[in-house]
Amino acid sequence: MNAQLYERVRSIAADVLQVSATSITQQSSTENVESWDSVHHLNLVLALEQEFDLQFDPEEMDHMHSISHILQVLDNKLNHRSS
Amino acid sequence: MAIAIQPYTPDLVPAVKALNSRLAAGGVVREFHFPESSVPEWLPKLPGRRLYQEYFLAVEGEAVRGGYIVKYQDFWINGENRPLAFYRLPLSEGIVNRAYTSVGVVMLRSALARQPVMFALGMGGMHNPLPQMLTALRWALREVPFYFRVHHPGRFLRNIAPLRRDAARRLLASLAALSGTGWLGIKAAQRLRTRAISGLQVERIESFGSWADELWQRCARNYFASAVRDSATLNLLYGEEKYLCVRVSRASQLLGWAVVLDTQMRQNKYFGDLRLGSIADCLAAPADALAVIQGATEFLDQRGVDLIISNQAHHAWSSALRSSGYFTGPSNFIFAASQGLAKVLSPLEQNFSQLHLNRGDGDGPINL
Repeated sequence: MNAQLYERVRSIAADVLQVSATSITQQSSTENVESWDSVHHLNLVLALEQEFDLQFDPEEMDHMHSISHILQVLDNKLNHRSS
Repeated sequence: MAIAIQPYTPDLVPAVKALNSRLAAGGVVREFHFPESSVPEWLPKLPGRRLYQEYFLAVEGEAVRGGYIVKYQDFWINGENRPLAFYRLPLSEGIVNRAYTSVGVVMLRSALARQPVMFALGMGGMHNPLPQMLTALRWALREVPFYFRVHHPGRFLRNIAPLRRDAARRLLASLAALSGTGWLGIKAAQRLRTRAISGLQVERIESFGSWADELWQRCARNYFASAVRDSATLNLLYGEEKYLCVRVSRASQLLGWAVVLDTQMRQNKYFGDLRLGSIADCLAAPADALAVIQGATEFLDQRGVDLIISNQAHHAWSSALRSSGYFTGPSNFIFAASQGLAKVLSPLEQNFSQLHLNRGDGDGPINL
Protein backbone atom coordinates (compact mmCIF):
# COMPACT_ATOMS: atom_id res chain seq x y z
CA MET A 1 0.00 0.00 0.00
CA ASN A 2 1.23 3.46 -0.94
CA ALA A 3 2.12 5.13 2.38
CA GLN A 4 1.88 8.62 0.96
CA LEU A 5 -1.61 7.94 -0.39
CA TYR A 6 -2.67 6.53 2.98
CA GLU A 7 -1.48 9.65 4.78
CA ARG A 8 -3.34 11.96 2.38
CA VAL A 9 -6.56 9.96 2.73
CA ARG A 10 -6.16 9.76 6.46
CA SER A 11 -5.73 13.50 6.76
CA ILE A 12 -8.79 14.22 4.56
CA ALA A 13 -10.91 11.66 6.39
CA ALA A 14 -9.95 13.08 9.77
CA ASP A 15 -10.80 16.56 8.61
CA VAL A 16 -14.18 15.62 7.07
CA LEU A 17 -15.23 13.21 9.81
CA GLN A 18 -14.03 15.64 12.49
CA VAL A 19 -11.88 13.15 14.36
CA SER A 20 -8.16 13.12 15.12
CA ALA A 21 -5.91 11.75 12.37
CA THR A 22 -4.38 9.29 14.82
CA SER A 23 -7.79 7.66 15.34
CA ILE A 24 -8.10 6.93 11.62
CA THR A 25 -6.72 3.55 10.59
CA GLN A 26 -7.25 1.33 7.58
CA GLN A 27 -9.94 -0.43 9.58
CA SER A 28 -11.91 2.77 10.17
CA SER A 29 -15.31 2.43 8.53
CA THR A 30 -18.94 3.51 8.57
CA GLU A 31 -19.42 0.80 11.18
CA ASN A 32 -16.95 2.10 13.75
CA VAL A 33 -16.63 5.87 13.18
CA GLU A 34 -19.65 7.48 14.80
CA SER A 35 -19.65 10.63 12.67
CA TRP A 36 -19.40 8.72 9.34
CA ASP A 37 -23.04 9.11 8.28
CA SER A 38 -24.51 9.67 4.82
CA VAL A 39 -23.82 13.41 4.83
CA HIS A 40 -20.20 12.96 5.93
CA HIS A 41 -19.83 10.14 3.44
CA LEU A 42 -20.80 12.50 0.64
CA ASN A 43 -18.46 15.18 1.99
CA LEU A 44 -15.64 12.64 2.14
CA VAL A 45 -16.28 11.50 -1.44
CA LEU A 46 -16.34 15.12 -2.66
CA ALA A 47 -13.19 16.03 -0.72
CA LEU A 48 -11.33 13.05 -2.18
CA GLU A 49 -12.52 13.93 -5.69
CA GLN A 50 -11.22 17.45 -5.24
CA GLU A 51 -7.92 16.39 -3.72
CA PHE A 52 -7.17 13.82 -6.44
CA ASP A 53 -8.91 15.64 -9.29
CA LEU A 54 -11.12 12.71 -10.28
CA GLN A 55 -14.73 11.57 -10.08
CA PHE A 56 -15.96 8.33 -8.57
CA ASP A 57 -18.56 6.12 -10.26
CA PRO A 58 -21.59 5.05 -8.22
CA GLU A 59 -20.16 1.51 -7.95
CA GLU A 60 -16.90 2.90 -6.59
CA MET A 61 -18.69 5.13 -4.08
CA ASP A 62 -20.60 2.13 -2.87
CA HIS A 63 -17.34 0.30 -2.08
CA MET A 64 -15.86 3.22 -0.16
CA HIS A 65 -17.27 2.40 3.26
CA SER A 66 -13.91 1.93 4.96
CA ILE A 67 -10.50 3.57 4.68
CA SER A 68 -8.98 0.36 3.29
CA HIS A 69 -11.67 0.20 0.60
CA ILE A 70 -11.17 3.87 -0.23
CA LEU A 71 -7.45 3.19 -0.65
CA GLN A 72 -8.19 0.26 -2.97
CA VAL A 73 -10.55 2.31 -5.13
CA LEU A 74 -8.16 5.25 -5.25
CA ASP A 75 -5.17 3.08 -5.97
CA ASN A 76 -6.98 1.43 -8.91
CA LYS A 77 -8.22 4.75 -10.23
CA LEU A 78 -4.88 6.53 -9.98
CA ASN A 79 -3.00 3.60 -11.54
CA HIS A 80 -5.56 3.45 -14.33
CA ARG A 81 -5.10 7.17 -14.95
CA SER A 82 -1.30 7.01 -15.08
CA SER A 83 -1.20 3.94 -17.39
CA MET B 1 -21.70 -6.62 -3.95
CA ALA B 2 -22.24 -3.41 -5.90
CA ILE B 3 -25.37 -1.29 -5.71
CA ALA B 4 -27.17 -0.77 -9.03
CA ILE B 5 -29.86 1.84 -9.56
CA GLN B 6 -32.73 0.55 -11.63
CA PRO B 7 -36.41 1.29 -12.29
CA TYR B 8 -38.85 -0.34 -9.88
CA THR B 9 -40.37 -3.35 -11.61
CA PRO B 10 -43.09 -5.67 -10.24
CA ASP B 11 -40.61 -8.50 -9.56
CA LEU B 12 -38.90 -6.27 -6.98
CA VAL B 13 -42.00 -5.79 -4.80
CA PRO B 14 -41.04 -8.65 -2.40
CA ALA B 15 -37.55 -7.13 -2.00
CA VAL B 16 -39.08 -3.71 -1.23
CA LYS B 17 -41.35 -5.33 1.36
CA ALA B 18 -38.27 -6.94 2.88
CA LEU B 19 -36.53 -3.55 2.96
CA ASN B 20 -39.55 -2.02 4.69
CA SER B 21 -39.49 -4.83 7.27
CA ARG B 22 -35.84 -4.12 8.02
CA LEU B 23 -36.61 -0.41 8.30
CA ALA B 24 -39.53 -1.13 10.63
CA ALA B 25 -37.31 -3.35 12.77
CA GLY B 26 -34.90 -0.42 12.99
CA GLY B 27 -37.67 1.86 14.23
CA VAL B 28 -38.53 3.67 10.99
CA VAL B 29 -42.22 4.60 10.95
CA ARG B 30 -44.48 3.47 8.10
CA GLU B 31 -44.72 7.00 6.72
CA PHE B 32 -41.07 6.66 5.66
CA HIS B 33 -41.33 3.23 4.05
CA PHE B 34 -41.00 2.85 0.30
CA PRO B 35 -44.19 2.15 -1.73
CA GLU B 36 -44.95 -1.55 -2.04
CA SER B 37 -46.25 -1.24 -5.57
CA SER B 38 -44.12 -0.57 -8.62
CA VAL B 39 -46.86 1.62 -10.13
CA PRO B 40 -47.31 4.98 -8.35
CA GLU B 41 -50.77 5.47 -6.87
CA TRP B 42 -50.29 9.23 -7.20
CA LEU B 43 -49.49 10.46 -10.75
CA PRO B 44 -48.58 7.22 -12.53
CA LYS B 45 -46.98 7.47 -15.96
CA LEU B 46 -49.63 7.22 -18.66
CA PRO B 47 -49.38 7.66 -22.43
CA GLY B 48 -49.21 11.34 -23.32
CA ARG B 49 -49.12 12.51 -19.70
CA ARG B 50 -46.38 15.01 -18.85
CA LEU B 51 -47.06 15.07 -15.12
CA TYR B 52 -46.07 11.73 -13.66
CA GLN B 53 -43.79 9.90 -11.27
CA GLU B 54 -41.18 7.18 -11.66
CA TYR B 55 -39.73 4.99 -8.93
CA PHE B 56 -36.09 3.92 -8.80
CA LEU B 57 -34.46 1.37 -6.52
CA ALA B 58 -30.94 0.77 -5.24
CA VAL B 59 -30.51 -2.95 -5.73
CA GLU B 60 -27.74 -5.13 -4.34
CA GLY B 61 -28.04 -8.64 -5.76
CA GLU B 62 -31.48 -9.86 -4.69
CA ALA B 63 -31.93 -7.17 -2.04
CA VAL B 64 -33.24 -3.61 -2.27
CA ARG B 65 -31.20 -1.17 -0.17
CA GLY B 66 -33.03 2.06 -0.97
CA GLY B 67 -35.18 3.93 -3.41
CA TYR B 68 -36.24 7.34 -4.60
CA ILE B 69 -39.02 8.91 -6.64
CA VAL B 70 -38.78 11.41 -9.47
CA LYS B 71 -41.80 13.54 -10.31
CA TYR B 72 -41.77 15.14 -13.74
CA GLN B 73 -43.75 18.29 -14.34
CA ASP B 74 -43.78 21.08 -16.91
CA PHE B 75 -42.67 24.49 -15.70
CA TRP B 76 -42.97 27.88 -17.29
CA ILE B 77 -39.51 29.43 -16.95
CA ASN B 78 -38.55 32.78 -18.37
CA GLY B 79 -41.05 32.57 -21.22
CA GLU B 80 -40.62 28.88 -22.09
CA ASN B 81 -42.24 25.62 -21.07
CA ARG B 82 -39.76 22.98 -19.93
CA PRO B 83 -40.00 19.78 -17.92
CA LEU B 84 -38.35 19.72 -14.50
CA ALA B 85 -37.58 16.73 -12.32
CA PHE B 86 -38.40 16.76 -8.61
CA TYR B 87 -36.36 14.45 -6.37
CA ARG B 88 -38.54 13.02 -3.62
CA LEU B 89 -38.64 10.49 -0.80
CA PRO B 90 -35.06 9.23 -1.03
CA LEU B 91 -34.89 6.34 1.37
CA SER B 92 -31.77 4.38 2.26
CA GLU B 93 -31.16 1.37 4.42
CA GLY B 94 -28.23 3.39 5.70
CA ILE B 95 -30.58 4.96 8.27
CA VAL B 96 -30.80 1.64 10.10
CA ASN B 97 -27.64 -0.14 8.97
CA ARG B 98 -24.37 1.75 8.70
CA ALA B 99 -23.05 -0.73 6.13
CA TYR B 100 -25.31 1.10 3.66
CA THR B 101 -24.32 4.67 4.48
CA SER B 102 -23.23 5.25 0.90
CA VAL B 103 -26.60 4.33 -0.65
CA GLY B 104 -28.04 7.84 -0.23
CA VAL B 105 -25.09 9.38 -2.06
CA VAL B 106 -25.19 6.79 -4.83
CA MET B 107 -28.93 7.37 -5.40
CA LEU B 108 -28.60 11.14 -5.46
CA ARG B 109 -25.70 11.10 -7.90
CA SER B 110 -27.48 8.58 -10.10
CA ALA B 111 -30.64 10.73 -10.16
CA LEU B 112 -28.58 13.78 -11.10
CA ALA B 113 -26.80 11.89 -13.85
CA ARG B 114 -30.22 11.05 -15.34
CA GLN B 115 -31.76 14.50 -14.73
CA PRO B 116 -29.24 17.30 -14.17
CA VAL B 117 -32.02 19.92 -14.09
CA MET B 118 -33.67 18.90 -10.87
CA PHE B 119 -35.08 20.34 -7.65
CA ALA B 120 -36.05 19.23 -4.19
CA LEU B 121 -38.64 20.89 -1.95
CA GLY B 122 -39.80 20.70 1.65
CA MET B 123 -37.31 18.47 3.47
CA GLY B 124 -38.23 19.65 6.95
CA GLY B 125 -35.46 22.20 7.42
CA MET B 126 -31.84 22.89 6.60
CA HIS B 127 -30.58 20.71 9.46
CA ASN B 128 -31.82 17.45 7.89
CA PRO B 129 -29.47 15.07 6.01
CA LEU B 130 -30.89 15.63 2.51
CA PRO B 131 -30.48 19.44 2.47
CA GLN B 132 -26.98 18.98 3.88
CA MET B 133 -26.10 16.54 1.12
CA LEU B 134 -27.53 18.89 -1.49
CA THR B 135 -25.49 21.75 -0.06
CA ALA B 136 -22.36 19.59 -0.30
CA LEU B 137 -23.19 18.96 -3.96
CA ARG B 138 -23.41 22.74 -4.44
CA TRP B 139 -27.14 22.91 -4.97
CA ALA B 140 -28.66 26.32 -4.27
CA LEU B 141 -30.93 26.22 -1.23
CA ARG B 142 -33.51 28.81 -0.17
CA GLU B 143 -36.18 28.84 2.53
CA VAL B 144 -39.67 29.42 1.12
CA PRO B 145 -41.15 32.06 3.47
CA PHE B 146 -43.77 30.86 5.99
CA TYR B 147 -46.80 32.89 7.05
CA PHE B 148 -49.50 32.33 9.64
CA ARG B 149 -52.65 34.07 10.87
CA VAL B 150 -54.46 33.24 14.13
CA HIS B 151 -58.26 33.04 13.96
CA HIS B 152 -59.14 31.66 17.38
CA PRO B 153 -56.55 33.05 19.77
CA GLY B 154 -57.98 31.18 22.77
CA ARG B 155 -57.67 27.76 21.16
CA PHE B 156 -54.38 28.79 19.61
CA LEU B 157 -52.93 29.77 22.99
CA ARG B 158 -54.19 26.58 24.66
CA ASN B 159 -52.67 24.38 21.96
CA ILE B 160 -49.43 26.21 21.56
CA ALA B 161 -48.64 26.49 25.28
CA PRO B 162 -47.83 22.78 25.88
CA LEU B 163 -45.86 22.59 22.66
CA ARG B 164 -43.63 25.55 23.31
CA ARG B 165 -41.84 23.68 26.10
CA ASP B 166 -39.88 22.01 23.35
CA ALA B 167 -37.32 24.65 22.54
CA ALA B 168 -36.01 22.73 19.58
CA ARG B 169 -38.96 23.56 17.41
CA ARG B 170 -38.08 26.72 15.60
CA LEU B 171 -41.49 27.16 14.12
CA LEU B 172 -43.05 27.34 17.52
CA ALA B 173 -40.64 29.96 18.70
CA SER B 174 -42.36 32.66 16.70
CA LEU B 175 -45.83 31.36 17.46
CA ALA B 176 -44.98 31.28 21.12
CA ALA B 177 -43.57 34.79 20.96
CA LEU B 178 -46.79 35.98 19.41
CA SER B 179 -48.83 34.10 21.97
CA GLY B 180 -47.14 36.18 24.64
CA THR B 181 -49.24 39.13 23.52
CA GLY B 182 -52.44 37.29 24.52
CA TRP B 183 -55.57 36.95 22.42
CA LEU B 184 -56.42 40.65 22.43
CA GLY B 185 -52.93 41.48 21.24
CA ILE B 186 -53.11 38.91 18.45
CA LYS B 187 -56.48 40.17 17.22
CA ALA B 188 -55.37 43.80 17.35
CA ALA B 189 -52.06 43.16 15.63
CA GLN B 190 -53.73 41.24 12.79
CA ARG B 191 -56.45 43.84 12.32
CA LEU B 192 -53.88 46.65 12.16
CA ARG B 193 -51.93 44.82 9.49
CA THR B 194 -54.90 44.03 7.26
CA ARG B 195 -55.64 46.11 4.18
CA ALA B 196 -59.17 44.88 3.52
CA ILE B 197 -60.61 44.57 0.02
CA SER B 198 -64.37 44.80 -0.34
CA GLY B 199 -66.76 43.26 -2.84
CA LEU B 200 -65.06 39.91 -3.27
CA GLN B 201 -67.05 36.85 -4.32
CA VAL B 202 -65.62 33.54 -3.20
CA GLU B 203 -67.13 30.44 -4.75
CA ARG B 204 -66.24 26.83 -4.09
CA ILE B 205 -65.63 24.83 -7.27
CA GLU B 206 -65.57 21.09 -7.91
CA SER B 207 -63.01 21.18 -10.71
CA PHE B 208 -60.98 23.54 -12.89
CA GLY B 209 -62.46 24.37 -16.29
CA SER B 210 -61.46 26.37 -19.35
CA TRP B 211 -61.62 29.54 -17.24
CA ALA B 212 -58.55 28.23 -15.37
CA ASP B 213 -56.70 27.80 -18.68
CA GLU B 214 -57.55 31.35 -19.67
CA LEU B 215 -56.36 32.61 -16.32
CA TRP B 216 -53.13 30.63 -16.62
CA GLN B 217 -52.50 32.01 -20.12
CA ARG B 218 -53.11 35.53 -18.85
CA CYS B 219 -51.01 35.20 -15.69
CA ALA B 220 -48.02 33.01 -16.62
CA ARG B 221 -46.06 35.77 -18.28
CA ASN B 222 -46.13 37.74 -15.01
CA TYR B 223 -43.98 35.11 -13.33
CA PHE B 224 -40.33 34.38 -13.98
CA ALA B 225 -41.02 30.73 -13.16
CA SER B 226 -43.98 28.63 -12.10
CA ALA B 227 -45.18 25.06 -12.48
CA VAL B 228 -47.72 24.99 -15.30
CA ARG B 229 -51.07 25.59 -13.62
CA ASP B 230 -53.54 24.81 -16.36
CA SER B 231 -56.84 22.99 -15.80
CA ALA B 232 -55.53 19.55 -16.83
CA THR B 233 -52.67 19.78 -14.32
CA LEU B 234 -54.83 21.20 -11.53
CA ASN B 235 -57.54 18.56 -11.93
CA LEU B 236 -54.86 15.86 -11.68
CA LEU B 237 -53.28 17.41 -8.59
CA TYR B 238 -56.41 18.48 -6.72
CA GLY B 239 -59.07 15.94 -7.64
CA GLU B 240 -59.30 14.53 -4.12
CA GLU B 241 -62.14 15.61 -1.84
CA LYS B 242 -59.83 16.98 0.85
CA TYR B 243 -58.77 19.82 -1.43
CA LEU B 244 -61.13 22.78 -1.21
CA CYS B 245 -60.83 24.76 -4.42
CA VAL B 246 -62.21 28.30 -4.53
CA ARG B 247 -62.55 30.86 -7.27
CA VAL B 248 -62.28 34.54 -6.35
CA SER B 249 -63.99 37.27 -8.39
CA ARG B 250 -64.96 40.90 -8.03
CA ALA B 251 -67.80 42.52 -9.97
CA SER B 252 -68.15 39.24 -11.91
CA GLN B 253 -64.57 39.47 -13.07
CA LEU B 254 -62.45 36.40 -12.33
CA LEU B 255 -59.35 37.34 -10.33
CA GLY B 256 -57.87 33.96 -9.42
CA TRP B 257 -58.22 30.71 -7.52
CA ALA B 258 -56.86 29.06 -4.40
CA VAL B 259 -56.62 25.49 -3.15
CA VAL B 260 -57.02 25.36 0.61
CA LEU B 261 -57.21 22.65 3.26
CA ASP B 262 -59.17 22.53 6.50
CA THR B 263 -57.67 19.85 8.72
CA GLN B 264 -58.39 18.89 12.31
CA MET B 265 -54.93 18.16 13.71
CA ARG B 266 -54.51 15.47 16.38
CA GLN B 267 -51.49 15.80 18.66
CA ASN B 268 -49.51 17.22 15.79
CA LYS B 269 -45.93 18.09 16.73
CA TYR B 270 -46.29 21.62 15.38
CA PHE B 271 -50.00 22.39 15.73
CA GLY B 272 -51.25 20.25 18.62
CA ASP B 273 -55.03 19.76 18.27
CA LEU B 274 -55.66 22.93 16.31
CA ARG B 275 -58.00 23.04 13.38
CA LEU B 276 -55.52 24.08 10.74
CA GLY B 277 -56.38 25.98 7.59
CA SER B 278 -53.76 26.20 4.88
CA ILE B 279 -53.54 28.06 1.61
CA ALA B 280 -51.67 25.39 -0.30
CA ASP B 281 -51.80 26.73 -3.83
CA CYS B 282 -53.12 29.76 -5.66
CA LEU B 283 -52.94 31.69 -8.90
CA ALA B 284 -53.75 35.21 -10.00
CA ALA B 285 -51.94 38.05 -11.67
CA PRO B 286 -49.55 39.47 -9.04
CA ALA B 287 -51.74 42.57 -8.77
CA ASP B 288 -54.70 40.37 -7.74
CA ALA B 289 -52.80 38.22 -5.24
CA LEU B 290 -54.15 40.26 -2.31
CA ALA B 291 -57.76 39.68 -3.38
CA VAL B 292 -57.21 35.93 -3.70
CA ILE B 293 -55.47 35.66 -0.34
CA GLN B 294 -58.25 37.61 1.34
CA GLY B 295 -60.92 35.53 -0.39
CA ALA B 296 -59.23 32.28 0.67
CA THR B 297 -58.70 33.59 4.21
CA GLU B 298 -62.36 34.58 4.52
CA PHE B 299 -63.44 31.17 3.20
CA LEU B 300 -61.33 29.34 5.80
CA ASP B 301 -62.37 31.72 8.57
CA GLN B 302 -66.04 31.02 7.87
CA ARG B 303 -65.36 27.29 8.14
CA GLY B 304 -64.05 27.89 11.66
CA VAL B 305 -60.33 27.14 11.46
CA ASP B 306 -58.10 28.19 14.36
CA LEU B 307 -54.99 29.06 12.41
CA ILE B 308 -54.17 29.59 8.71
CA ILE B 309 -50.72 28.97 7.29
CA SER B 310 -49.10 29.36 3.88
CA ASN B 311 -45.65 29.14 2.29
CA GLN B 312 -45.10 31.44 -0.68
CA ALA B 313 -41.90 32.37 -2.50
CA HIS B 314 -43.17 35.08 -4.85
CA HIS B 315 -42.96 38.63 -3.52
CA ALA B 316 -46.52 39.52 -4.61
CA TRP B 317 -48.01 36.58 -2.67
CA SER B 318 -45.78 37.27 0.32
CA SER B 319 -46.85 40.88 0.30
CA ALA B 320 -50.52 39.86 -0.06
CA LEU B 321 -50.23 37.62 3.01
CA ARG B 322 -48.58 40.36 5.07
CA SER B 323 -51.26 42.84 3.98
CA SER B 324 -53.92 40.35 5.07
CA GLY B 325 -52.67 40.30 8.66
CA TYR B 326 -50.39 37.27 8.39
CA PHE B 327 -47.24 37.10 10.47
CA THR B 328 -44.07 35.56 9.20
CA GLY B 329 -42.33 32.69 10.99
CA PRO B 330 -39.22 30.58 10.46
CA SER B 331 -39.63 28.24 7.51
CA ASN B 332 -38.74 24.56 7.34
CA PHE B 333 -39.91 24.39 3.72
CA ILE B 334 -36.76 24.42 1.62
CA PHE B 335 -36.35 24.86 -2.12
CA ALA B 336 -33.17 23.33 -3.53
CA ALA B 337 -32.06 23.73 -7.15
CA SER B 338 -29.41 21.49 -8.69
CA GLN B 339 -26.50 23.27 -10.35
CA GLY B 340 -28.21 22.65 -13.69
CA LEU B 341 -31.47 24.23 -12.54
CA ALA B 342 -29.73 27.08 -10.72
CA LYS B 343 -28.17 27.99 -14.06
CA VAL B 344 -31.60 28.04 -15.70
CA LEU B 345 -32.95 30.24 -12.88
CA SER B 346 -29.85 32.42 -12.74
CA PRO B 347 -29.32 34.73 -10.97
CA LEU B 348 -31.30 32.79 -8.35
CA GLU B 349 -30.48 35.31 -5.62
CA GLN B 350 -32.41 37.89 -7.58
CA ASN B 351 -35.01 35.63 -9.19
CA PHE B 352 -36.07 33.56 -6.19
CA SER B 353 -38.76 36.06 -5.19
CA GLN B 354 -40.05 35.95 -8.79
CA LEU B 355 -40.74 32.20 -8.60
CA HIS B 356 -44.33 31.21 -7.94
CA LEU B 357 -43.61 28.36 -5.57
CA ASN B 358 -45.73 27.07 -2.69
CA ARG B 359 -47.01 23.93 -0.93
CA GLY B 360 -48.81 22.90 -4.11
CA ASP B 361 -45.43 22.17 -5.68
CA GLY B 362 -43.17 19.20 -5.10
CA ASP B 363 -44.87 16.57 -2.93
CA GLY B 364 -48.10 18.54 -2.95
CA PRO B 365 -49.79 19.60 0.28
CA ILE B 366 -48.75 16.66 2.44
CA ASN B 367 -48.69 16.94 6.24
CA LEU B 368 -51.35 19.66 6.11
